[in-house]
Amino acid sequence: MKAKTKTANKILLLGFPGNGLIGTFTVSYLISHLQMRLIGDINHPDMTPTLFVENGEILSPIRIYQKDNLYAIISDVPIFPEVAHEFVSSIAEFCQKNHIKKVIVPSGVDTQSTDSKDTKTYGLATHPSFEKLMYDNDLPKFIAGSIIGTDATVITVFRNYRIPLLMLYTSCHSFFPDPQASIFAITSLAKVLKIQVDTKDIQKRVDYLRIQHRSLMQETLDAIQQQEKQLPSKVPPIYR
Amino acid sequence: MIKRLDYNSIFQLGDDLEQKILSPLSCIKEHESKWVLEFDLPLVDKKDINVFVDSDQTIIVEAKLRESYCDEHQKSYQYEYFKKSLSMPKNVDSDNISAKFADGRLVITIPKTLQGKKIRIED
Repeated sequence: MKAKTKTANKILLLGFPGNGLIGTFTVSYLISHLQMRLIGDINHPDMTPTLFVENGEILSPIRIYQKDNLYAIISDVPIFPEVAHEFVSSIAEFCQKNHIKKVIVPSGVDTQSTDSKDTKTYGLATHPSFEKLMYDNDLPKFIAGSIIGTDATVITVFRNYRIPLLMLYTSCHSFFPDPQASIFAITSLAKVLKIQVDTKDIQKRVDYLRIQHRSLMQETLDAIQQQEKQLPSKVPPIYR
Repeated sequence: MIKRLDYNSIFQLGDDLEQKILSPLSCIKEHESKWVLEFDLPLVDKKDINVFVDSDQTIIVEAKLRESYCDEHQKSYQYEYFKKSLSMPKNVDSDNISAKFADGRLVITIPKTLQGKKIRIED
């Protein structure tokens, strides 16, 4: 597969486990298909010490990749609320240090529809520079809803650091790994990045990915439940 | 400590390597008039799924995989079935449970029964 980044500014893709594992599937697929280079990892003393071994190589669960002007940070473990703010702040500092001007985060949003034909990717931007990008790529705006957990931390921290952020919310099944919806997310992200990505490989492996990622999905749901416990029982309506 | 990627899945999800059984993910949602129970059953055909309710009001889902599933990290780990048992919610109409299967997801709808006595609204 040939892929070429046309964007001039440095961009960071951030993928971590959440609804339908959309962020994890999408960013890891792009890392693999763009053949991005591993340049570092992120550790935190409050996170359970974990390492993965892949073909004899020891890998940290949160890794940083790069290819030309494109950076990617992928987490293969859920981000628990105790560390979320510090974790995202360290990424924002990494962006400042490396002159990264834009951050894009693919994520999932729960949908009532079970029909994959209804799958859509919505954009939620913290900066007007992304508005045209959304319009040019037919990405409808995320108009209303409540955002909790790590996604909310990501938006808050990047706003505070004044680093433009685009959340790409793809409708998915919240409780099960949803690689099928991730294919839609990959296509939407590829359009935004102006790159070509062939999704045949992930299409072939959809069923296997659903089985393989059951444990990560379960751990992610546990983390989300932990975050929900800290919220008020009902999100108050916002009047403007 | 180096932890294997698949270590958790074996123990947390209750997979049974000896019997070649995988424990599927499931979720339950409560609605006004019903409970909706969902099971994620990839690599399964509709004809190979069995759903039972036993005398203890436990719902049991069994399904045969269309091909054996090999663990990516441990090739000798082979699975051929999904199986999971869950307790049914209380006050349900067991005679009118229905199920649908599409895109590898089994959706079981369990209607609620109205309990208690009716209170008359005074004039």
